Amino acid sequence: MNALTDGIASLLDIQVLIGMIMGLGLGFLVGAFPGITATMAVALASGFTLTLEPVQGLAVLLTIYVAANFGDRVPAILVNTPGTPASIATTLDGYPMAKQGRAGLALTISAIVSAIGILASLVVFAAAAIPIATIARDYFKSPELFALVVFGLTVMISISSKSILKGVLAGLFGLALGTVGVFPATGDQRLTFGSLDLWEGFNFIAVIIGLFGIAELFDQLLTHHKSKIRPISSLGRWWPNKAELKQIRRPLGVSGLVGLGVGLIPAAGGDIAGLIGWDRAKRISKHPEEFGKGSIEGITASDTASSATLGGSLTTTMALGVPGDSVMAIMIGSMMIWGIAPGPDLFTRRPDLVVSITGIMLIATVLSLGLSLVRMKGMVKLLDLPHHYLWSAILIFCIIGTYATTNSLYTVGTMMVFGVIGVLMKRTGFPAGPVVLGLLLGPLAEENLARTLTILPTKPFIDVISPITIALLLLSLLSLVLPIIRRHRQARAERSTTLAEALLDRDAAQARTPDDAPSASKK
Amino acid sequence: MAGVLGAAIALVGCSPVSEVAEPGETAAASTFPDKDIRLIIQANPGGGSDLSSRALASELEKILGVSVIPENMPGASGALAMEFVAQQPADGYVIGFGPSEIAMLNTTQNANVLPENYDLLGQIMLAPGVISVGADSPYETLQDLIDASKDSALTVANSGAGSIWEAATLGLAEETGAQFTTVAYDGGATAVAAAASGEAVAAVSGAGEALAQKGAVRVLAVLNDETYFNLPDVPTAEEAIGTAAVYGGWGGIYAPAGLPDDVHSILEDAIAQAVETDTYQAFQKQSGNMVVYRDSAEFTDFVNEQFTLFQKLLG
Repeated sequence: MNALTDGIASLLDIQVLIGMIMGLGLGFLVGAFPGITATMAVALASGFTLTLEPVQGLAVLLTIYVAANFGDRVPAILVNTPGTPASIATTLDGYPMAKQGRAGLALTISAIVSAIGILASLVVFAAAAIPIATIARDYFKSPELFALVVFGLTVMISISSKSILKGVLAGLFGLALGTVGVFPATGDQRLTFGSLDLWEGFNFIAVIIGLFGIAELFDQLLTHHKSKIRPISSLGRWWPNKAELKQIRRPLGVSGLVGLGVGLIPAAGGDIAGLIGWDRAKRISKHPEEFGKGSIEGITASDTASSATLGGSLTTTMALGVPGDSVMAIMIGSMMIWGIAPGPDLFTRRPDLVVSITGIMLIATVLSLGLSLVRMKGMVKLLDLPHHYLWSAILIFCIIGTYATTNSLYTVGTMMVFGVIGVLMKRTGFPAGPVVLGLLLGPLAEENLARTLTILPTKPFIDVISPITIALLLLSLLSLVLPIIRRHRQARAERSTTLAEALLDRDAAQARTPDDAPSASKK
Repeated sequence: MAGVLGAAIALVGCSPVSEVAEPGETAAASTFPDKDIRLIIQANPGGGSDLSSRALASELEKILGVSVIPENMPGASGALAMEFVAQQPADGYVIGFGPSEIAMLNTTQNANVLPENYDLLGQIMLAPGVISVGADSPYETLQDLIDASKDSALTVANSGAGSIWEAATLGLAEETGAQFTTVAYDGGATAVAAAASGEAVAAVSGAGEALAQKGAVRVLAVLNDETYFNLPDVPTAEEAIGTAAVYGGWGGIYAPAGLPDDVHSILEDAIAQAVETDTYQAFQKQSGNMVVYRDSAEFTDFVNEQFTLFQKLLG
C-alpha cells in the first residue's frame, strides 16, 4: 500500500509533467519521421536525462517510447512508409484504406487499438511481471525460439495475397538478403565482398523505407495522371460505427495475445508481432479475403499486436534485467547510472518505482491517444498539398531519416536501391511484405538454430528439444501446408463444377443431338 | 625570439620533448587546440562505449578549452570508425574511442585495424569479466566447474563469436585445461540469461551484465587481478583456482599514428586529468565499470600484448 501511494506521489511533480509533455511531442515527431526510430530518440534523449531525478528521466524516456508507437502509424497509413519498423504491418491494410478514402477511419482505429494493446499489456506488467518473465525465459530457450521464428516465417504465405508462389519467392529473396554480413554464431563473413559497409548486413530500416515508402513514391511518379491526383485527401468518416466496432473484437483479442507473447521474448519486438498478429487474425477471420485490401480487422490486428509488445518488453526488462527490445537496452544503461538497475530485486527493493513506471506508461498512453485523436485532422491536412510537393517532402524526410541511422550516405544508397527493387516488384506483382519478413526473421532463425546445434551434443536430446519446440514446428508445418491444400481443393472444386457444367452441357448437347441428328438427316 | 617561444611552449605544453622539437612545429603546437576536436565513437548512441566517450568528452572540453564533439560512426563492429580515424590527418583534431576490438578486428575479421596504425593516448576504463552460473546450478566454485568440465565439455555462453568474452572463455580453458564449448549469443545480457535459464551451463560476460541479473545467476569469479567493487565477496580467478586469468572489456582514446610530440602530450595529459575528475569517476562507478588508467606508453604496450594474445586465442 505504501509503495502504491509513494509511487503515485512521486509522479505528482511538475517536472515529471513537463518531462512527459516533452517526451510526448518528441515521441510523436520521431515516430512520424520515417527512419528515425524510438530507439534512436531514446538514446539521444538519455544523454540529457542522466542529470535528472530517476522518475523525471523515466517520464521523458518512457513517454517517447509510448508516443513514438502512436506517431509511426501516421506515415504508414497515409503514405505507405512505416515511421518505425513496428508499423510495417500497418501499411498492409492502412494504406489501402487511405487509398479508398478511409484514412480518417484507419487513423482513429489504429490509435484506439494501439492504446488498448498497450494498456492490456501493462496489466500483465503490473500484476505478474516476475513469474511471467521467468516462465518466458525458462521455457523459451534457443530451440523454442527457433521453432517460434520458423512459425513466424509461415506468415509469408498469408501476406502473399495473390500468388503463393510469388510470395514464397519474395520471402526467399528476403532470407537470402538476411545471410549477408558477419554470421554471429561463427564470426565468419558471408557475401560481404570485402566491403566494411556490408559487415552488419543490409540496414533493416533503409530496406523497409526503400521497399515501402520509396517504392510507392517511384510508383506514383511513373503512374502520375492528373485524374489520379490526391486520392487520399478525401478522409471519409472518422469514427467507426457500431458494426465496425463489433468487427474489431476478434482480431483485437487474438493479436493482443500474440503481441504480449512476442513482447516477452527478448530481441523480438513490434515489427515481428505486427506481422504475426495480422496473420493470426486473418486465419480466424470470417472475411480473410479482405485482408491486405483495406480491412478494418487487418489494421486492428497489426496495431494491437505491435503495441501490446510494449508491456511485454517492459516486463522482461524490469523483471529480469534482460532487454526486451532495443529501446529497453538503452533504458537499462540509463537506469544503471541512476542506481536503479532493473532485475528481480527492483521489485522487492523499489516497489514504488515499479508503480511509478506503470503510472508513467499509463498516463503516456492516454495522452498519446488523446493527442492522436485531436491532432489527426491537422496531420492529414498535409496530404492536401499538391502531390509534387508532398512526395518530394517525403523523399527529403526519408533521406534525412535514413542518413541519421548511421551517419553515412551508404545507408541512403541502400534505401534508394531497395526503392528501385520495390517498384520493380510492385510492377511484377511480387509482394514486399515477405521480403521484410525473411530479412527480419531469417537471421534470428539461423542464430537460434546454431545455438541449438551447439548445445545438442552436450545434453540428452529430450532436454534440448522440448515438447513446445516440437508442437511449434508441427504448427508451422500445418500453417504451411493447409492453405496450399485449401487452395488446391478450392481450385479443384471450381474445376469440377466447371467440369460438371461442361459435362451437363455436353450431355444436354448429346441429348439434343439424337433428336437433332435425325431431324438434320431428315432435312 | 625562439627562446621566448620555447619558454612559452614549455609552460603551455608541459611537454618533456618540446625542447628538441623544430621551432616551426612548436609554433604550431603552441596554439593546439585552436578549434573543435571530433571524438569518433565506433558504436551507436546509448551503449557503453558511447556513454563512456561522452562522459570523457565533457571533461576534456573543460581542460582543453575547445569543444570536443562526440560523433557516432557505427558499423562493421567498429572497424569503420577505426579505419576512418587512421586515414585522418595526424593533427590531433580527430580522435576516437577504442574498445578491445581495436586489438581484435585484424585477427577475427582481417580488418585493416593494427595497433601501429594509431597513437594510443591512454586507457580510460575497464569492464572486468566475470564467469557466472545459474542460481540453481550444482557448481558452487570455479574449481567445481573446471573439474566437471574434464569429464565432458560444458557449454559457456558469451556475447558473440569473435567477442572479447569468447576470447576470455577460450583463454580460461587453455590456462586451466577445462573443456568449454563456447555458445554465441546476441549480446551480453542474453548470454547471462542463458546461464540463468540453464540453457548454457555458465556465461562469461562483463561484470555489469551479470550484476543486472543477480539473484538469477551466481558469479563464480572475477577475471581480473583485483576484486570488483560491486562484488567484494567474489574471488578473482587467481584466488579461486590459483591461475591468473585477466580478461576485460577495456577502452581508451586513440588518434591517427604520427601526432606531433607536443600535440600527443597535450592530449595525453588532458585525458589523464579528465579521468581523475570526480564527475568522470562517479559516472564510471555508477555504470559498473572500473576506472583503470594507463598512460600512452603503458597503453601501447598493453594493446600490443592483447593483440598477440587475441591472435593466439582467436586466430
